[in-house]
Amino acid sequence: MLRFILADLGRMKAGAVVIVLLIALAVALGLGVSLSERALRLGSARASDKFDLVIGAPGSETQLVLSTVFLQPAALPLVSGDVLAALARDPRVSWAAPVGFGDFHRGWPVIGTTTQLVENTAPGLAEGRIFAAEGEAVIGATVGLAVGDAIRPTHGELSRGGHDHEDVSYRITGRLQATGTPWDRAILVPIQAVWHLHGLETGAGHDDAPAEAHDEHEHGHGFDADAPLTEAWQPGEVPGLPAILVKPSSIANAYKLRQEYRQQGGTMAVFPAEVLTSLYGTLGDARQVLAAVAAATQGLVAAALLLVTMVHIGQRRRQIGALRALGAPRGAIFALVWAELFALIAAGIVLGVLGGWLAASYLGRLVTARQGFPLPVEFSAGDLAGLAILAGFGALMAALPAWIAYRQSPAASLRQ
Amino acid sequence: MLSLHLSGVEVRFPGLDSPALTIPDLRLPAGGRVAVAGPSGSGKSTLVNVITGLERPSRGEVRWDGTDIARLSESARDRWRGANVGLIMQDFHLFPGLTALENVLLPARLARVANAALVARAGELLAQVGLQRPGQRTGTMSRGEMQRVAVARALLRRPGVIIADEPTASLDPAHGAAIGALLTGLAADSGATLIVVSHDPALIQRLPRRIALAGGEVRDDAMGVTG
Repeated sequence: MLRFILADLGRMKAGAVVIVLLIALAVALGLGVSLSERALRLGSARASDKFDLVIGAPGSETQLVLSTVFLQPAALPLVSGDVLAALARDPRVSWAAPVGFGDFHRGWPVIGTTTQLVENTAPGLAEGRIFAAEGEAVIGATVGLAVGDAIRPTHGELSRGGHDHEDVSYRITGRLQATGTPWDRAILVPIQAVWHLHGLETGAGHDDAPAEAHDEHEHGHGFDADAPLTEAWQPGEVPGLPAILVKPSSIANAYKLRQEYRQQGGTMAVFPAEVLTSLYGTLGDARQVLAAVAAATQGLVAAALLLVTMVHIGQRRRQIGALRALGAPRGAIFALVWAELFALIAAGIVLGVLGGWLAASYLGRLVTARQGFPLPVEFSAGDLAGLAILAGFGALMAALPAWIAYRQSPAASLRQ
Repeated sequence: MLSLHLSGVEVRFPGLDSPALTIPDLRLPAGGRVAVAGPSGSGKSTLVNVITGLERPSRGEVRWDGTDIARLSESARDRWRGANVGLIMQDFHLFPGLTALENVLLPARLARVANAALVARAGELLAQVGLQRPGQRTGTMSRGEMQRVAVARALLRRPGVIIADEPTASLDPAHGAAIGALLTGLAADSGATLIVVSHDPALIQRLPRRIALAGGEVRDDAMGVTG
């Protein structure tokens, strides 16, 4: 019987291949959409894992999160440095660290921060040591530089019209272990260096002005590659900051701090996870549209498949009638037609699952290459249940032409 | 070796006033050999369908050795036909993707009765009908060779009756004669009852009894001289 099915499929190879590919495409489309959406959700949630509370100047919450968690370049309004000084002294805070953006080196963002943040967010150093002086830097796991290299940051990405910070260079002293976040592709330098580089003298009262407003001639003036680092923030001595990352000592304190810095004028406090959740809402809407498109495609393919099989069965009435006349039982005819069609459907589904997974993985790799955080493409119980339902539907659909063949009168079929 | 007794058989098709087949009484002894002739539309195919159980008569009994197959269910008739009837059709109905041997075995396999002994018999039968290559795909065969495969297939399960419906109609005279000889010879060897529907005079000549159908009725039923 298997031999007969294979021989039969072999005789209509082209048609069988087209049917399998059609089914595979429809399945891959539906599965790819849901796998990719889930991967993006999981991946971005994991990337924001270490970012409990972010405080910045009032503005777009989404932009604040995208800039701090995903290092998306944007000119953020600055929050007063005194906020950092206050947070550093707050007993409800485990640690608080400034995050300074704006510089790049060959496409890698150069982020000004503190040893405290590096120690608390990275699992450790893969090689070398953390920065200890103003002119030193540590690189994320995926930055294509080596320990010992010297880098010259540019203000803004060169491809977007940024300019060089002449005469200023950092020496790479260490490489961090992978964190699975966009920070893996960042070059981390002391925030103090960023301030000096941009002429933001500590305590000079530039609190409210964006970094870009400073005169060119000031650049590099206060930068001293060998200067030691201070991370004890005194009120009135800290320049304005685009973002402060806060690790509250407890969940209750996290809510209290957020509440407090929301109400306070001049600051905004967000839970990145919360902002991401609302983004996922939007993402979910998009997914639903795509899922509907995929479902419609699957419906169309199912209808086309049904039509093709009906025509096919009609064309083979005589053959089926002859098999019956020669003594093949009706049940065998049903099984034959059903198995042949279901084999095609099952092959299409298997191929589609593979295709959908490959497509989602490929998309994931693209995003990882650009954004630095991995997208975990994982099957969920829901996917498997969905596939089982699909297979069940396929089995049912294959039964229709099989039933027609079963019911067919052999005498009438042979008369044609 | 089955005997046939048709009594009061009538087959009507919807939309037709007169019955397609009316046979008040027809007997065929076990091991008998008969030719059925008649013009197109005379009811030959209907007769074949009725006596093979492919079609249920509107009325009457179709008794093969006392079993009235007109009263059997569709599935039971399938089973009965598979076990008792060797059918040979004008169009061979072989499956081009399969080999000669696989074609011979296909109905038995679909009926789940093919065992090692039957597989061995299939090979022997192919040799008997004069085919040397059981592994040859039937798609590459001549028409004469194809009908030989069909004959071997019909004989596989040692049927009590062999029914051939225009077995030589799509063959040239030489091949037709060879198939005719093969059929009558094999039927005689096995003792099976043989019913051949044909308008091929050479083939009809080989059979002692000749039934002429016309308008769905038996017009003539005579013993003739076999040649």
